[in-house]
Amino acid sequence: MDVQDAVAEGTASAENGEIKRDGKKQFQMGPGDILEGKLIYDGSVHADGRVEGELRVTGNIDVANGANVKALLEASNVSVKGAVEGQVTARDKLTLGRNGRLSGDVQVRRLQIDDGATMNGHVRMGDFEHQASGQ
Amino acid sequence: MFGWATLSTRRPASRLPTPVPEDHVSNGQRNSVVLGPKDRLVGQLFIEGDLRVAGTVEGELEATGDIEIAGGGKVNGQVTAYNRLVVGRDASLIAGDVRVGRLTVEDGATFSGRVSMGKHSVEAPKPVEAPKPVEAPQAIEPEPIPVPEPTPEPQPVVATKVVVAQQSKPIQKPTQKPTPQKGKRR
Repeated sequence: MDVQDAVAEGTASAENGEIKRDGKKQFQMGPGDILEGKLIYDGSVHADGRVEGELRVTGNIDVANGANVKALLEASNVSVKGAVEGQVTARDKLTLGRNGRLSGDVQVRRLQIDDGATMNGHVRMGDFEHQASGQ
Repeated sequence: MFGWATLSTRRPASRLPTPVPEDHVSNGQRNSVVLGPKDRLVGQLFIEGDLRVAGTVEGELEATGDIEIAGGGKVNGQVTAYNRLVVGRDASLIAGDVRVGRLTVEDGATFSGRVSMGKHSVEAPKPVEAPKPVEAPQAIEPEPIPVPEPTPEPQPVVATKVVVAQQSKPIQKPTQKPTPQKGKRR
């Protein structure tokens, strides 16, 4: 099942949360939103509130400050300002902000960790065509 | 201080622990070591203080303060920084284990390894060594090097035993007890 398969609870539905930016779709969550399950999305996701499960997107994933994510993340760019627990794959770049907390194995092409961030896990860097679909 | 205790327990082979003069620690000035772009180190380095690497290192680095891999610095090996590790934008760190208190990786840096972060992970590098006595007795007795050697030997067996026991019968159990005596008898 490679269609969108998401269970959204809380204040915003997927339709409400979806906005267009530069012609690219953006799935926008708020601090009170909860996403549980697996989301495969052609666009970018702004993750806030609570996320559990799996996010695979063609664009970027942005984990907001204060967000709590326990999920497998796969995106072009991943930016973590909140707390993330789970495997992360950034086809391009992973950025860990100063308040970011990441616990899990990471596969990236580029990596930036700001001072103050917390990271625990294995970092692998380089090209990973074969890994595109994840493990 | 504890740095030497850690070092000596973790490096069984190459050296005996060197007692550190007290004033060395307490003179207030933090020790700082720089490896320049043309410098090269193969082996192990322990620094009580800060370390800045712009050259090439193959081996283990450990510092009680900060470690900065800067410029075109390349480090290949385990890195432990009790305080902070910085990997600069043109620098490269390929490590098995990275144990740090704080970590900064600048965009453009090459960085691979298993990161353990937080004071606890740095100060108690290996949980097995936690119950070991304080640094003072270790500086006196030159003995501890051979002692740890036999002890790790049964440990893998124990691990295997647990796995094996689930799969089939616990054959390993009787075998494990006689192992402490060296050399197999037939």
